[in-house]
Amino acid sequence: MSTGKFWIVSFAAAAALLLLTRWQIQNEYFYFAAYVVLQYVVLATAWNILGGYTGYTNFGTAAFFAFGAYTAVVLHKLTSVPVPAMILAAGAVSGLLGFGMGYLTLRLKGVFFAIATLALAIVAQTLIVNWDYVGGSRGIYIIRPQQAPLFGGYIEYLYSLMLLLSWLSVALARTIERSRLGLGLAAIRDDEQAAEASGVPTLRLKLVATTLSGALMGMAGAPLPYYVTYLDPTSSFNLSYAVNAVAMPLIGGMTSWIGPLIGAVLLGTIQQVATVTISSALNLLIVGLLLIGFVIVAPNGIVGLVQARRRSGRRRWRSR
Amino acid sequence: MAEPLTAASAPPLLEANRLAKHFGGFVALDNIDLAVAEGERLGLIGPNGSGKSTLVNCLCGTLRHDDGTILFAGRRLDGVPAYRRTRLGLARSFQLPRPFRTMSLVDNLRIPLLYSVNARPGARLHQAAIDERCLQLLDEVGLADKARRLPRDLTQVEMRKLELARAVASAPRLLFADEAMAGLSPSEVEEILGVLFRLNETGITIVLIEHIMRAVMSFSTRLVVLVAGHKIADGEPQEAMRNPEVERAYLGE
Repeated sequence: MSTGKFWIVSFAAAAALLLLTRWQIQNEYFYFAAYVVLQYVVLATAWNILGGYTGYTNFGTAAFFAFGAYTAVVLHKLTSVPVPAMILAAGAVSGLLGFGMGYLTLRLKGVFFAIATLALAIVAQTLIVNWDYVGGSRGIYIIRPQQAPLFGGYIEYLYSLMLLLSWLSVALARTIERSRLGLGLAAIRDDEQAAEASGVPTLRLKLVATTLSGALMGMAGAPLPYYVTYLDPTSSFNLSYAVNAVAMPLIGGMTSWIGPLIGAVLLGTIQQVATVTISSALNLLIVGLLLIGFVIVAPNGIVGLVQARRRSGRRRWRSR
Repeated sequence: MAEPLTAASAPPLLEANRLAKHFGGFVALDNIDLAVAEGERLGLIGPNGSGKSTLVNCLCGTLRHDDGTILFAGRRLDGVPAYRRTRLGLARSFQLPRPFRTMSLVDNLRIPLLYSVNARPGARLHQAAIDERCLQLLDEVGLADKARRLPRDLTQVEMRKLELARAVASAPRLLFADEAMAGLSPSEVEEILGVLFRLNETGITIVLIEHIMRAVMSFSTRLVVLVAGHKIADGEPQEAMRNPEVERAYLGE
């Protein structure tokens, strides 16, 4: 499918999903849970642009996500802009953070880059903890309106926004994957020196990847203050964001746009079900166990499994 | 065999003046002067650790040299990043093949076509033209039937051919072939030599870095010998090999 066609078809799918859920499901809890799953679709897809396509493991997802959330907090305190505007502003702030991180760390490789991103998350959290205007370590209460225009309940409104954002990030990821940029990023992932020797401006492309990836993560974080109504550094910088953002693409498959989508929907849903039926304390345990299982059995994720099966099927068919 | 297109009056295509590089206290290159004429087939030899690869890395921008100047087609290359040098027409193959392992052979060649050839002013190959060029390049090195395969499906000699094809895909004026034949059987060496001769006939200047003396002597029109970061000989191959310093370096006292 051509890139332009995919944008239209995927938008239609997202719109259909929105209408179907709004028409069929009245239970408010569904929207609370679905919001979180969709938020992970955005985070996992964003992470994969740098981690999967370019091969740079980022453990600092929480920093970009929380910076998005706190951008919304600042805007909320300063003025009264609508949430979509906050999402755009959060994208700009976290995109800038991504660019800065890229500029400072991209000469590092492998484990060293990963550790640097982890350090970035800690620095960013320390910054917020010591910033009283946004509540410091005590956190801050955000009063969310009861109703949203056109959308009925506010949580349904946030759910719709996150669905839109999921569509945007998935379609963007697929566009990148099939473009000249995506091929260049893949070359960097495979062999950076060979890429450079083939004319790929590796530093510039990596900066594009960190900026885009960071911006999408920040956008995913912007509606968070309205979703939780109480935001504090401990929960917004929570390790689970970073772990899930790595685990979901890994489980789904990192070389294709659909991998993070599958991983996020699968893992996010399991976590939401476990939260209701057993306990939310189990969430990280589930991720950990699944991660170990996949690393051993299917290191290329679900997408890799399917591709391998198809290939062996074709080979058997050919040898007949 | 076509005679090299050297013209004594024309300025060299590549010129390094007093090029120096050291790693800590170790002097890898000590004031190397090197000129490569357009169309030439230059052999670059020397014992292990003599600085051949360091020289190539400095000329291609993979390493930054400490001192001296590099001129390519009349342009200063000092501080120019590696990818820009490739776009200017300075290509290399790697000593150990470094294919893009998750990409098919066609996509391996697509990278330099998209990022080097298409990045040059005025050039804008379309999708179909790029596809065609990829297949043509693979055909030239005898890999056309494996166009959709992954590099892991290739044999050692095929890997070297892919490495050369990818370097050539950037449409270079000068190609460094860094030990493109190490570890190959005599018949495979002949195959790679054939590829290199054909490339030279299309006008690509070639610098061959090689240990296999038979291959170097049959290929090169000129020989440069490096020992311990110094250039100890530069000239007609037979003559260079008779140089007492070279004999000493290769055969011992």
